Amino acid sequence: MSALAAQSGPAPARASGPATFTGTLGLLRFMLRRDRFRSTVWVAGIGLLGFYFAHAIQVIAEDEAELAQLATLFTDPVGRLMTGPAFGMEAPTFERFFSAGYVLFIYLLIALMSMFTVVRHTRAEEQSGRAELLRSNVVGRHATLSATLSLVVLLNLAAGLLVFGGALTAGYAAEGSALVAAAGAGSGLFFAGTAAISAQLSASARACSAMAGAALAAAYVIRMGGDMAAQGGSVLSWFSPLGWAQQTAPYVEDRWWILALLFGTAAVQLWIGYWLSTRRDLEASLVPTRLGRQYARPALGSPLGLAVRTLKGGLRGWGIGLVLAGLVFGAYAQTLLDAGENLPEEIRQIFTGESMVLGYLAHRGVFLAIFVAAAGVGGLTQLRGEERRGRAELLLSAPVSRTKWLGTHLVVILGGAALLLLLVGLGMGLGAAAVLEADAGRYFVYCVAASVLQLPAVLAVLGIVTALFGWWPRAAGPVGWTLIGYCAFMITFGQLLDLPEVFHQVNIFGHLAQYPVEDVTWAPILALSALGLIGLLSGIWGWNRREINRV
Amino acid sequence: MSQRNAVIEAHEVHKSFGPVRALDDLTLEILPGEVHGFLGPNGSGKSTAMRVLLGVLRPDSGTVKVFGLDPWRDAVALHQRLAYVPGDVELWPNLTGGEVIDMFLRLRGKYDRARRDELIERFDLDPRKKTRTYSKGNRQKVALISALAAHTDLLLLDEPTAGLDPLMEAVFQDVIHQAKSEGRTVLLSSHILAQVEALSDRISIIRAGHIVESGSLSDLRHMTRTTFEIESGRPAGHLASLRFVHDYRTVGGRSVFEVDGEHIHDVMAEIVKLGVHGMVAHPPTLEQLLMRHYGQQPSREVAQDTPEQAAP
Repeated sequence: MSALAAQSGPAPARASGPATFTGTLGLLRFMLRRDRFRSTVWVAGIGLLGFYFAHAIQVIAEDEAELAQLATLFTDPVGRLMTGPAFGMEAPTFERFFSAGYVLFIYLLIALMSMFTVVRHTRAEEQSGRAELLRSNVVGRHATLSATLSLVVLLNLAAGLLVFGGALTAGYAAEGSALVAAAGAGSGLFFAGTAAISAQLSASARACSAMAGAALAAAYVIRMGGDMAAQGGSVLSWFSPLGWAQQTAPYVEDRWWILALLFGTAAVQLWIGYWLSTRRDLEASLVPTRLGRQYARPALGSPLGLAVRTLKGGLRGWGIGLVLAGLVFGAYAQTLLDAGENLPEEIRQIFTGESMVLGYLAHRGVFLAIFVAAAGVGGLTQLRGEERRGRAELLLSAPVSRTKWLGTHLVVILGGAALLLLLVGLGMGLGAAAVLEADAGRYFVYCVAASVLQLPAVLAVLGIVTALFGWWPRAAGPVGWTLIGYCAFMITFGQLLDLPEVFHQVNIFGHLAQYPVEDVTWAPILALSALGLIGLLSGIWGWNRREINRV
Repeated sequence: MSQRNAVIEAHEVHKSFGPVRALDDLTLEILPGEVHGFLGPNGSGKSTAMRVLLGVLRPDSGTVKVFGLDPWRDAVALHQRLAYVPGDVELWPNLTGGEVIDMFLRLRGKYDRARRDELIERFDLDPRKKTRTYSKGNRQKVALISALAAHTDLLLLDEPTAGLDPLMEAVFQDVIHQAKSEGRTVLLSSHILAQVEALSDRISIIRAGHIVESGSLSDLRHMTRTTFEIESGRPAGHLASLRFVHDYRTVGGRSVFEVDGEHIHDVMAEIVKLGVHGMVAHPPTLEQLLMRHYGQQPSREVAQDTPEQAAP
């Protein structure tokens, strides 16, 4: 705060002109101080990912001849749907491969980082009331937004430089690498602008983030449609800022001029954000808050009804993402069938089994099931939040037993997880059935069954976390998320690494038979189900015995 | 005061959180139909005591009975008969105030919608707003209305008006009077003295987890000193030397001092001789009662208390 005091200038008679920016530099220093850990992690994470992508390709394919066989992964319509217009794939090089298949995910991360940073420092600060405290000092009306945008520019520059550096160390051309980095920074600024607008619209930081996130999702979906239509993209691709970033075609055509579109629209959005911010009061929203129900629906009058209301938002969010992922993964089946024999040894190690496609579907089924388990762990950590915030105590002050409280929430979480597995399986099955030239019906059944058969493993993870919630609540969240991360890592890389057997034993998702490549075996199903049920029951027991929200 | 029909009986209750003694030999008795003020500064153990009575915390030793039931073991049966308003109310952000109230009332069984609507009107709450947009005072109103609209025999109110404005506090006092006339028992914790003074039949003062004083307001006053302020023709300085006169001082030409309750007659006899122009005598305020218990004795280890707000 001393940094703010240092900025105090002469008091303006009217809040206009440069005075509205008073305190920007001080606020920027303050934000850098508050964000020093979070921002470092974001930027370093993006830089590392860029470095990893740039180098990983050269591990997967030994030379560029081998690359040519892989190019079909990206040039195929489903491949273009996922990763982009696939420029230069008729003569693939490592750097073109990097740009065609991977940089989109770097752009997405930079965009997310920028959006979250803007909302966190503007609307979230207002919602918490901290902004008012700051603004009561000698701080101009535009200072907070200006400082936030300066911070975003700095973060984008840093992330861009790291990505550029990562590409250079892989031996990629300097011009194309610089273009990749600049397009990344441009995407970041574009969505920072979107967030600067959305932050003016709603009084809730969550709603503002959701609006900006929806804009990003729309940009992704529009370019999906555009890039799927034709290699090199179609007219539709030009309606998406992510499409613009990719149309620069780094390492192939190096079209720098397209960046003007990105930076120009970013500037326009920022201007709108500033303008809108002058049309409203501090902490007020431009979109009026909707009023809800005066009387509750009958369904809310029971512990189960409340549990549904509490948990359904999170489950629905996971569900939409996972079903879409299932569709896309499924739709990749025919591409893989075509690429089949040409795939390099490294990828074949991950997708075990005689039939490439069955192995692939089995692997994707497990992978998505881990995320379904993650949705369940998310629900359980929400329960801990209910306790920490005192809402569990308040509800239990009504004649509701602890078993009923936890039991109803568990019914929703477990029922939700089972439903998600089914939906994800249906999504994957529909995706596969839509693209496969033969045997669509059989593959559809495989996909649904493969997903649903993961239920015991999901149950086991949720049982473990529930037991911890009952007996050692502080550990429930950290252990749960670590377990999820560990299983995802082991499923993805476990076979490639030469690890002692015990590492595979701990991987809860490594025990079930890899249906449809392998036949279903009952022993692991029973063992995991038993583990899950014991965990659930012991969690309920512990919850009945321990004190609530003990300080 | 028969032990038999007390609504709340806590006897020699101890509760520690690690090295911190939150409740230290707490003994409390509350009779049916009384409004009992539970007075103490922040961190004195009020909320901990409430949460033990509610059965979410388990005492380390001692016995607790509410309606003759053990709150830890018989929580559900007990909660049929009580309603609770926590000190720091957090609500479900995606529900409206009206939905939260309805949910609580339905969990308790049958309820009277007219009474619910009347309370919402009296507390001037907009039940259609999502609770995430409510201020602390409005969240408190939601919890209060949920508790008051239900037909329970006991209300446990932990600093229920900390976020309410003076107008709403008047409404609150009204509805508590109404609850009392319906024969409901109320345990009302507070550090707002005027509120407890206006509402309570009896008061217990808690300090460092221990009830240091319990009784009706006049019981407590009997044990304390009356404050005199006099303006006199002749100097009154010699009063300071009397055994039962304390804290003698001169404020703006007036002599101010405190007198032990049982010696008021003796002081009056002295004052009469001084040629008094003006005199004010007033009973001890609860501030003074509190000062006596918190201001003078060296404090024991300060107990950590769960969600309590700083003094307004």
